[in-house]
Amino acid sequence: MRRLAPIFTRVPWLPSAIWVLSLPFAPFARAADMPTPAVAQTISPSDLQFFESKIRPLLTNNCYKCHSRDADKIKGGLMLDTREAWLHGGNTGPAIVPGKPDESLLIQAVRYTDDELKMPPKGEKLSDAQIADLTEWVRRGAPDPRTLVAKGSSSSYGGVGRAHWAFQPIQKPALPAVSNAHWIRTPVDAFVLAKLDANGMTPNAPADKSTLIRRVTFDLTGLPPTEKEIEDFLADPSPDAYARVVDRLLGSPHYGERWARYWLDVARYSDTKGEPPKQPNANNDPRFPFAWTYRDYVIDSFNADKPYNQFIVEQLAADKLLQAQIAKAKAKDKNAPLPTDESSLAALGFLTLGPQFEGRMDDIIGDRIDVTTKAFLGLTVACARCHDHKFDPIPTKDYYSLYGVFANTTVPDEQDLPPLHTKLPRTAELLDYIAKSDDLKKKHAQVSADYAAFQQAQRKTKTREPEKRKELQKRDREVDKEIADLDSTHAGAIPRANALYDVRQSRDYPVLLRGETQNKGDIVPRRFLEILSAEPKKRPEWHEGSGRLQLAQSIADPKNPMTARVLVNRIWQQHWGTGIVLTPDDLGNQSSPPSHPELLDYLAATFMENGWSIKALQRVIVLSNTYQQAATTNPKYAETDPDNRLLWRANLRRLDFEEMHDALLTITGELDRTMGGRPVLITSEGFASRRAIYTTIDRRSPPELLTQFDFPSPDVASGRRYTTIVPQQALFLMNSPMVIEASRKLVDRASFAALKTDEERVSSLYLAVYQRPPTKEEITLAVRYVKANPTGSAVDLPTPVANEPALSPREQRKDAKQANNPKRPAPGRYAVQVGGNYNTHVMPDAWTKLAHALFQSNEAMFYQ
Amino acid sequence: MSSPHDDQPDHHHHHPCCGISTNIEDYFQTRRQFLSRMGMGLGALSLATLFDPKYLIGAPAPAGPTLGSSPLAPKPPMFASKAKSIIHIFAQGAPSHIDTWDPKPTLAKMNGKTIDGGGTAMGSPFKFQKYGQSGLEISELFSKTAAHADDLAIIRSMWTDIPAHEVATVFMNTGSLRIAKPSLGSWMVYGLGTENQNLPGFIALRGGRLPPGGSANYQAAFLPGVYQGASINTQAPTVPQMIQNIRNQYVGTREQRRQLNFVQQLNELHAQNLERDAALETRLESYEIAFRMQAESLDAFDIMKESAETRKAYGIPERGNGGDQAKQLLIARRLVERGVRMVQVWHDGWDHHQDLEARITTKAGEIDQPLAALLADLKQRGLLDSTLVIWGGEFGRKPTVDKNNNATDEKAGRDHNAKAFSVVMAGGGVKGGTVYGATDEFGGASVKDKVHVHDLHATILAAMGLDHTKLTYRFNGRDFRLTDVAGNVVQTILT
Repeated sequence: MRRLAPIFTRVPWLPSAIWVLSLPFAPFARAADMPTPAVAQTISPSDLQFFESKIRPLLTNNCYKCHSRDADKIKGGLMLDTREAWLHGGNTGPAIVPGKPDESLLIQAVRYTDDELKMPPKGEKLSDAQIADLTEWVRRGAPDPRTLVAKGSSSSYGGVGRAHWAFQPIQKPALPAVSNAHWIRTPVDAFVLAKLDANGMTPNAPADKSTLIRRVTFDLTGLPPTEKEIEDFLADPSPDAYARVVDRLLGSPHYGERWARYWLDVARYSDTKGEPPKQPNANNDPRFPFAWTYRDYVIDSFNADKPYNQFIVEQLAADKLLQAQIAKAKAKDKNAPLPTDESSLAALGFLTLGPQFEGRMDDIIGDRIDVTTKAFLGLTVACARCHDHKFDPIPTKDYYSLYGVFANTTVPDEQDLPPLHTKLPRTAELLDYIAKSDDLKKKHAQVSADYAAFQQAQRKTKTREPEKRKELQKRDREVDKEIADLDSTHAGAIPRANALYDVRQSRDYPVLLRGETQNKGDIVPRRFLEILSAEPKKRPEWHEGSGRLQLAQSIADPKNPMTARVLVNRIWQQHWGTGIVLTPDDLGNQSSPPSHPELLDYLAATFMENGWSIKALQRVIVLSNTYQQAATTNPKYAETDPDNRLLWRANLRRLDFEEMHDALLTITGELDRTMGGRPVLITSEGFASRRAIYTTIDRRSPPELLTQFDFPSPDVASGRRYTTIVPQQALFLMNSPMVIEASRKLVDRASFAALKTDEERVSSLYLAVYQRPPTKEEITLAVRYVKANPTGSAVDLPTPVANEPALSPREQRKDAKQANNPKRPAPGRYAVQVGGNYNTHVMPDAWTKLAHALFQSNEAMFYQ
Repeated sequence: MSSPHDDQPDHHHHHPCCGISTNIEDYFQTRRQFLSRMGMGLGALSLATLFDPKYLIGAPAPAGPTLGSSPLAPKPPMFASKAKSIIHIFAQGAPSHIDTWDPKPTLAKMNGKTIDGGGTAMGSPFKFQKYGQSGLEISELFSKTAAHADDLAIIRSMWTDIPAHEVATVFMNTGSLRIAKPSLGSWMVYGLGTENQNLPGFIALRGGRLPPGGSANYQAAFLPGVYQGASINTQAPTVPQMIQNIRNQYVGTREQRRQLNFVQQLNELHAQNLERDAALETRLESYEIAFRMQAESLDAFDIMKESAETRKAYGIPERGNGGDQAKQLLIARRLVERGVRMVQVWHDGWDHHQDLEARITTKAGEIDQPLAALLADLKQRGLLDSTLVIWGGEFGRKPTVDKNNNATDEKAGRDHNAKAFSVVMAGGGVKGGTVYGATDEFGGASVKDKVHVHDLHATILAAMGLDHTKLTYRFNGRDFRLTDVAGNVVQTILT
């Protein structure tokens, strides 16, 4: 067992190797020899005729079954359906050397001269005439008219395999010419308008001010605007009124809470381990008591507008940055004090807080590779675990290069995780925690020692004592639970980072053929992905430590064509509901073509120029006229572009679970704006009034309510939420006490009680729920609804359930107690389920019903 | 609308790699296109039902009259089939096949002796006898169910990949060992829709404890969320406690209808300048389904609506605890009767490492009578032909004494065994009185006509009129299916 870290001294877990580095990282040159998109060949008519009559049918009939994009399974990584594909070749290299049949693998294969390479296989040898045709075709230079360009994208963004647009360097395009220069407020508008111009469309008129402030406030903070904020904005006629709202929102601490949640989806964040490790030397408790320190790190990072390249490196190698910082200080002054704030280490939770797969390392590493490559690179590298990636140029070897990086790391025991702050005020609570923690440490050490002794004894005597083994395992689990309980609940518990560190002696790992542990192939060096490397053949190998820092630097390199594009697409998607590329976690060959490729590149290039500032990127987006359009539809445009890919209007967005939950609390004035700290169960009794981001996420069983509202699986990176609309969501809004009681609270406000007229009352509820005043028509409608509220004998009470069990004596006492409550109206007792318990409910009055109706309506649950 | 039956290009199904990013565009785009092609104001459709008096008095609504556009709308099978719905009893914990459905007289003769592999043979303490005209040999543990022998098909040659409960349980439900994939029921509703638009198409009935793997067992995974199984804790004493927020405890249905009408008026106003947006209309529709669900669920899950005689036949005690499985099976019958596509019934506690004789007697005792009653009940109502009833666990057990547990001989149990187990099927599309496949003489491994979990899935889909190689969903760039790249239909046990 590792020692518990002493509190007021240095935490001894930082390894000795010290590094020096500084951000931003030295760019590496990208070689000019990257494969370029194939230039259209000029083919002579006779060559074309020869190809079409002899070669195309031959390839289609004999080779495509295994060697084309449409193959069930592409064999040997080789595709023969485009020129680019056979030039790139398969696992054994280019298939054809134009003009040189004897050097072309394809010709060797069909000739059946090499025993190892006979194609087509299984003796289905081509006829001599066919072989002669192929040979002649290659001799002529293999003239090939076939090209494959991703549908719907402009030609410069075509290409497959290596030629895929996302693998090409990011170049900042010039702003396009447009029909109406006055409409251009930010560069976004130029690219959008140019596309609309080309399609003969014009953008919508701007949204009205109350729509706009609701949209941008939800969008940037996840909360509705307050009445005061709306008033101020409506009353401000200055041209920069909107820009000031945007600045205020970007500066709000609630901004970080909103945008962090998106990143937590991507980082498959959870407060539990899934299947906890089973090994007796690991903590078997299912909880991660300190997961929240990663959540808070993400919130803080967004609020501080931390440069995204730094955000990347911290999440993969914060420990290395810290070491470098210490080394730098020590180099200047040998006696320089060590930093006491090591909270950046919490960033490493990105890697460590994944599912634990009962402690199976292969799967844990697989998860880390998956989340890292999807989140930052928009690539599904984990697909290459058992075989070369089927669509992207990612060989299995690359997977095991990254495998080596993560295999050379280790996660400390829960009690040895590094504290965020190495100096803490000496409080009674802290001392109590330390005492209890020390006790548990001793207890744990004792169990471990007993277990080791038991194992040794068994080996010696060759006996089996399953009962005793079970007993020891049980004791171990109990101590693990006690530790997790203490760390999860004790007021003085020291917040710790879910860090990991490098093993002392790092080494390279072999490829596991077909992903099978027993089936070891070649050892591969730790290094970056071939497709994203400047010189694939001369990729630097990483020998220092695990290679995490080098991996992080390669990802955050401005020359990396994926990183900025992926992030820009993610941010764009969160502002619009859909991205420029529809699949945020996969910008590889299987992604749909970007709707505005030049815009994506322009934003990616300027994003890096602006120091990787996410807030600067968002300003360009939300200040654009494109963003400020109304959502009004246009039947003609809706016909040709039903999904608004060209952005001729603003999109209608359904509130996600967090927005809905937080909005209910904000509107009723109950929102607890406390930030950070341990998670709470927001679905528990009393409807904890914290923001939804602070709820406990148990990946074994995510809260039912959240999953009904499309909360994504916390087991894998999810860059985009489903937006399903299912009856269970309606049931929640129709019937749940949370929503009905929220409605009542609106009506119970003193300010509401003071209102004199029905018109004022309707207006008050509209302002609260919709953040806009009602129209005359709406007032009439609402008042009519309120007036029609049944009274007396017409009151429609809920039908009692026939077989509802009789009240227990305890329930009877509770009921009697509540009956004395003067606020409780006379008729009937109705059970209201609150977190599994039953309370007596208060019948809603007409105004409460109106407020409840507003909450259920589309306008409350969407913003436009 | 792209139906899963369309001959979609199926290039990638031989590619067992993971896919995780979310690509649901296809679904929503086609849905939108469908709506616009139909020129459908869903609002208008639903409003037609707004003032329908039959909803005001809480009577069950007719099954799915106005919801042709719903992703839950019934779809025809790919080929003619008898089975329309499924009741799947998941005997979780890995029940011993040797003591239930797979008689091993040779093993009994070797009792206490060392058999190949070094274990101590453990013959079944239970008597087997032949039942029905077909003469199926069944253990006394299932003597009541055995009365329906001529309706049963027993697969005695099941096998699976990993003998660990959680993995194997999720595997039995999703066909996937690691990656989150849609469950059998989700695929079923995706492929066939559901007959009753007032209830979820896939319902999992469970006790208070979640099954190992939790909701992974009834998840929609990358299929649209509407296909997710609704998991319901049937141990809750009343229907409103079973289904969250199913009941409005503040106002009655009439008053709720009045409010909902007002809400829909608000929605109409809101949509005025937005035109018919698919999302808005779907939401409008979802409220109507939710509204109807309230009445329908309260009725469908309420076993007190059954006669005392029926409850007694299933084995539900009139007072006190117990009869959980009986209650579940009776609810299951009420649900398939109402057109729910698939009901899964969770029956846990079959993990008998020790004290097998006593414990398996208890477990079988909990399900034998209800299962027999269910088959009789379905038959009597003419529903057995259209209901595929399945009983089975996640793997089987060994023919030898479990040595990991120092149990005395009288308290012996059996260890896990992925190489052999039995699954029993009855009803829709199943050839009754059949035995398929066999294990070796001791029951240690399936040897004849082996049936893998993927094969079982293929067979279940086939019984429901679905071709497992054609029921695909495009996700993350490839077409996924329940049976991954495998699966052979066991035609012999199908009619």
